[in-house]
Amino acid sequence: MRGLLVASLLAVACRPPADRPSAALPAHRIVSLAPSSTELLFALGAGDQLVGRTTWCRYPPAALQVPDVGDGLNPNIEAIAARRPDLVVLYRSPLNETAKTQLARLGIPAVTLAQDRLEDIGRAARELGRLTGHEAAGDSIGAALDALLGMPAPAPIARVAFVVWDNPPMVIGGGSYLDQLATLAGGANVFHDLAAASATVSIETIVARNPDVILVLSDSSAPPAYSGRREWRAIRAVREQRFIMLRADLFGRPSPTAPAAVAALRRALEARTK
Amino acid sequence: MTRWLALGALVAVALVSAVVLGPAHVALGDLASSEIVRSLRVPRALLALLVGGSLGVAGVSLQALVRNPLADPFLLGLSGGAGLGAVLAIALHVGGPWALPLAAFAGALGAMALVYRLGLVGGAQLDPRVLLLAGVAVGAFSGAITTAIVSLAEAADLRNAFLWLWGGLSGASWDTVLVMLVYIPVPLVVLYAAARPLDLLALGEEPATHLGADVEPLKRRVYVAASLLTAAAVAVSGVIGFVGLIVPHITRLVWGHRHRALLPAAFLGGGALLLFADTAARVAVAPRELPVGIVTALVGVPLFAVLLRRWAGARS
Repeated sequence: MRGLLVASLLAVACRPPADRPSAALPAHRIVSLAPSSTELLFALGAGDQLVGRTTWCRYPPAALQVPDVGDGLNPNIEAIAARRPDLVVLYRSPLNETAKTQLARLGIPAVTLAQDRLEDIGRAARELGRLTGHEAAGDSIGAALDALLGMPAPAPIARVAFVVWDNPPMVIGGGSYLDQLATLAGGANVFHDLAAASATVSIETIVARNPDVILVLSDSSAPPAYSGRREWRAIRAVREQRFIMLRADLFGRPSPTAPAAVAALRRALEARTK
Repeated sequence: MTRWLALGALVAVALVSAVVLGPAHVALGDLASSEIVRSLRVPRALLALLVGGSLGVAGVSLQALVRNPLADPFLLGLSGGAGLGAVLAIALHVGGPWALPLAAFAGALGAMALVYRLGLVGGAQLDPRVLLLAGVAVGAFSGAITTAIVSLAEAADLRNAFLWLWGGLSGASWDTVLVMLVYIPVPLVVLYAAARPLDLLALGEEPATHLGADVEPLKRRVYVAASLLTAAAVAVSGVIGFVGLIVPHITRLVWGHRHRALLPAAFLGGGALLLFADTAARVAVAPRELPVGIVTALVGVPLFAVLLRRWAGARS
């Protein structure tokens, strides 16, 4: 609220409101408010043009050297404006559309990028490449991801379930990036029919769908804590301790490393099904 | 007598439907041999009965104690304390399969002790009004800390903790059923033994004293026992609202104000309501699942409204 007030005061005092102020391209002072955009900007070679990131932008490790401006889902406009950016990259959400309008009142150009699915990354790479003066790099990342998407999905070698939370049990559904990665790696997500990106289900539904392997987002190699609970042991894959741990740096967010993630998951599935 | 038979039949129907119905298809003939039924549905149904019953009894007792029809087992700050405990356990990465329920239980007990201390006016008398206000204050304060932790933490994990707080029985297993079966008889017996003095307390503290009730120890016993029941319920199933508010009123409409009948009726009624609600939560949008607290509200509130209208109509 205070940020909003200061923002509107500043807007009245300093600059005329600008609707689409994209005068000076390429951008040299970029604030990235989504971990996947930050990673993408480094991949494009625009890392040294970054002057702000969210608390949660940890990849690549060089991102940690960029000043932290707080949260990306509920952006602190004042902290962002203080970095005097000439481009702010936001995750596309209704709240961030409001933030974009507020930034525009301050004369700060902003773009919102969808970063939910595999096809979003290539599009975002091309757009950010254009905005930051790294068009060739953007096209090359975009082409690599298009090639991945254009690949015919291999025949499934294992039935998988992504269990991302245990109480209540939450799984990854068909409308998600991870489901796309699994499909390309030869893993058939048993919850592919759920249109949502993630959903709460009953343990008995997981038992009935009987995945061969459970995929867990975790940097630790220890099996998840719920595997020690009796109700979870009704699931065959839990009983047989058939877990594959997915490292956060490769799988934690939609990322230009998707081809490497698919290859890593493929290897893990092959090792599990031997 | 017919009232009891009807209630018993209701519980039986609720138990049977909870075991027969579910998102996974199990043929009727395979019910006895099915792993899903044996290790998931039956313990979950029993846990729903025990938790719903505990919340019903805790609600009746607390409404009698604070002489306020709005009292609910979670009004006295326990849900806030349990939530804080659970979120802290997740934020601090406390491991182990039982970390979450134990942390929630510890948080609920912490809130109970704090509210109790604040409610002891002059260090001796438990004032129901102060108790209510202390409960609301402690609940709001721990809720604020919980929200601060969640909003400062990285998205996924802690936001999922909020889902747990909305209540659900997915943590049910024979282990949790066993823990509840060992634990809840003590507070239940304490409350049932206080049935007659609770009747007197409804008349007011002074009349109750004149009629021979030992009011101060009674209030403490009832408060602690009802809170212990609620703390166990929240530890195994999160915050399931409305059961502890609605069931006492419904049972009072049917059984009157005698706690000797009211307490067991509230146990069975609460158990039946939660059984039906959990069955609906598992089946209604299958293969997805709804938070059971949403269903208890959707089922319980209209039922409550109808009964309230009839009751108000009968009185005028």
